[in-house]
Amino acid sequence: MLTRIAGGRVIDPAHGRDGVGDVWMRDGRIVDAPPDGRADATYDAAKKIVMAGAIDIHSHIAGWNENTARLLLPEQHRAAAPRPPATPLSNAGWSTFQTGCLYAAMGFTTVVEPAVSPHCALHAHLELADIPIIDKATLAVLGNDDYLLGLLRSSESEAAIADYVAWTLDMSRSLGIKVVNAGGAAAFKENVRAFSFDDTVPSYGVTSRRIVKALQRAVSELGVPHPLHVHCNNLGLAGNADTALATIAAAEDLPLHLAHLQFYGYGKEGERGFSSAAPSLAAAVNATPNVTIDVGQVMFGQTVTISSDVLRQFNARNQARPRKWLILDGDGNGGGIVPYEYRRKDFHNAVQWAVGLELFLLIDDTRRVFFTTDHPNGAPFTSYPEIFALLMSRDLRAQWIADLPPAAMAVTTLPSISREYSLAEIAAMTRVAPAKLLGLADRGHLAPGAIADVAVYEDAADRARMFRAAALVFKDGELVVRGGKVTHYRFGRALTVRPDRDRATDRRLKAYYEDRFGISDGYFKVPAHAIGRPEPFERVPCVS
Amino acid sequence: MPQAWIAGKPATLEAAIAEAARLLRASRLPLIAGLGTDVAGARAAIALAERAGAAIDHMHSGALLRELDVMRSSGVTLTTPGETAVRADTLLFVGTGVAEAWAATQQKRRDGGAGRRVFRLCPGRSPAPLGAGATAVTAVGKKAEELPAMLAVLRAHIAGRPTGEHGPSAKALREIAAELKAARFGVAIWSAATLDALAIEMLCGLVNDLNATTRFSALPLPPADNAVGVLQTCGWMTGMPMRTGFGRGFPEHDPWLFDGRRLAQSGEADCVVWISAYGTPAPQWAAPTIALTRQAAGTTFAATPRVCIEVGCPGVDHAGVEYLPQIGTLAHVEAAKPSEAVSAANVIARLASALFGDGARPC
Repeated sequence: MLTRIAGGRVIDPAHGRDGVGDVWMRDGRIVDAPPDGRADATYDAAKKIVMAGAIDIHSHIAGWNENTARLLLPEQHRAAAPRPPATPLSNAGWSTFQTGCLYAAMGFTTVVEPAVSPHCALHAHLELADIPIIDKATLAVLGNDDYLLGLLRSSESEAAIADYVAWTLDMSRSLGIKVVNAGGAAAFKENVRAFSFDDTVPSYGVTSRRIVKALQRAVSELGVPHPLHVHCNNLGLAGNADTALATIAAAEDLPLHLAHLQFYGYGKEGERGFSSAAPSLAAAVNATPNVTIDVGQVMFGQTVTISSDVLRQFNARNQARPRKWLILDGDGNGGGIVPYEYRRKDFHNAVQWAVGLELFLLIDDTRRVFFTTDHPNGAPFTSYPEIFALLMSRDLRAQWIADLPPAAMAVTTLPSISREYSLAEIAAMTRVAPAKLLGLADRGHLAPGAIADVAVYEDAADRARMFRAAALVFKDGELVVRGGKVTHYRFGRALTVRPDRDRATDRRLKAYYEDRFGISDGYFKVPAHAIGRPEPFERVPCVS
Repeated sequence: MPQAWIAGKPATLEAAIAEAARLLRASRLPLIAGLGTDVAGARAAIALAERAGAAIDHMHSGALLRELDVMRSSGVTLTTPGETAVRADTLLFVGTGVAEAWAATQQKRRDGGAGRRVFRLCPGRSPAPLGAGATAVTAVGKKAEELPAMLAVLRAHIAGRPTGEHGPSAKALREIAAELKAARFGVAIWSAATLDALAIEMLCGLVNDLNATTRFSALPLPPADNAVGVLQTCGWMTGMPMRTGFGRGFPEHDPWLFDGRRLAQSGEADCVVWISAYGTPAPQWAAPTIALTRQAAGTTFAATPRVCIEVGCPGVDHAGVEYLPQIGTLAHVEAAKPSEAVSAANVIARLASALFGDGARPC
């Protein structure tokens, strides 16, 4: 079937396209316009904006941590509306079904869950399988696991580390590797309460820096498209910009992605010893072309922090709002769940809000700064439309700033920044750049051959309203959203990479699990037939 | 061949499913209880419950929710079986049968925990001998009722607060408190099945207090019948744990209102679907209208179910995903003895199709 999205303003920065025209789709792909110009179905997009489906590279949407947060906070996500007939459970608050529908309604078609403990990968994939509409992917968390730290302690070869990383990617069906407070969780198990980039993990004798460098090299050598995804040490602490700067410097000449940089954008200036260090971080990012970052924007309101940074979450547990929390000394990283409310009147929260926007606005290259709230840590993903609006209007920012504590704004540069994002820059940041960062050649753009993931928006002056409810969304060429409402369910795939490895690694790991835990490594595998949906995975090629 | 019965008389599976659909259609408030099934079975059952406006409960919800209620109103530090096995230098077992249940998950470990210090509170009258390799094994308390007071004294000692010094266990508790504080990585292990909410709350608090100076975590052992696997599934599908009702068209969680026993005994639920694929006996508190059980022929119900269908056991008759206590997460378990027995998930999906057609099913 040949489908035409007719007469919209097509914004496709991957190909320098920004003008009124058509987008054609057939069999789930974007195609050239047919010579006779006849379509089987036509959707009128006149006066509307047409973009590729958006891609979220970092949003905690599935897995043990996320699900435990749901169970811990029943009062925060009660369903209030009855089920629509065609989309069961889509109104169940914070359910996987609602997650897929809310993302789709905003025109997002691919979302990455960035922190899956390899031992809990099956659980994460089962949840992802119950997220309708969108495609998904996971990043596997390494860097506090005994096996890797053991390899480093005994100075094993780079090849052995790469083989282990490849084994982990395959076993956990992941698209990439993340490291969370490298070494910090392992040190915490030995009662260390603060851990920086050049600190040493007791018992293993390796520094955080060495762990990050080893994983960065392994990911790069395996040809995994997505660079190592780093959650630095010292998240949330005053003066932690130094840690992020040291990590950026340590990238040297290989690619490195720093997650939710806003949470590392803090200096110690001002009367309260807490200030924005975003300008120096942005300058460092601008000067380091092989480094990419995502922001982790904070927005005001109730949320819950969900993190594999168990050390950080343990130290933050007494700031829980409401006062309950759960810490997991898990295999490898573990994690923690700490509910939190960001308040407009709170000095620190207001500085955090400004730091995120400063990073968005001070980093020059929109293809190296990624749009995230670290959902739900900075804010739920449902706040994205408001953030788009803030990025696109300095007047709107000025209104917000006027309501925030002046002392907080005084330790940031935000009030002085006049930059406004254009729609093309929004499209580059949320479509083109994420596809490139994840190695997804057929996403994030609208040229023939691309997957027909397309979002059509009203060109409303209220940008938040525009981005909250897409007029039309197509997933794999199929209409799934009309007028901001999901019209029916379809189920997407989880994207994976599977770099080659020395098969001797499998024997080593099998023996390791039997010796250390007395269990089979087979328990941690994710067979496709366990997922309960047809063809649940799609393999993304590695770069050679 | 699958085996099925209608009113105690053998029937084809198709006829049994048709009759079950008729009963559900006629019901004002169906209850889907038991829920002893794998993740696929739970997904199918929850999807059916949503469509049918039913309430859902698990046969071990009592223990599970007692524990969850404490955790969702306070703070807790947990660990995994793996970390406990390889890292813990100190174990505190609380309650009857707990040390034995833990040992059962550790049978294949070669290192039996050499040098580990082990303490047991109220282990029961004749606890099994423990501690291959453990250097200190101390047990205090015989009656479970003593536990809350004992835990309070232990916490007071750890916090350096004064306590009433009486009873034969006073000295032992003081010594245990000192040992727990001296642990490098300690783990308190319990089962909510044998503890009340107060004891669980005291244990979570004890672990928190110990973390002021050393590292200590909790490892609650899971109930049987894939209770935690069903809890997790319920969590991601509905946002809520079990004891959730869909009567108003959206999931509502209320541990009292949607307690399966209460719903059945009060007569509020007029059609009870009982699922027990792991073979646990039928409830004595209800006469299931529709029963999906592993051993239908050997199961004695309070009254003959209107429809009874024999289903396979996950991990035995067919492969399935379930929560494994030895790893502390969900795993895919292959069939140990593959058979033609039909899975609970399959029966429930066919039942849903008979009721509502194949459209608009989330699973």
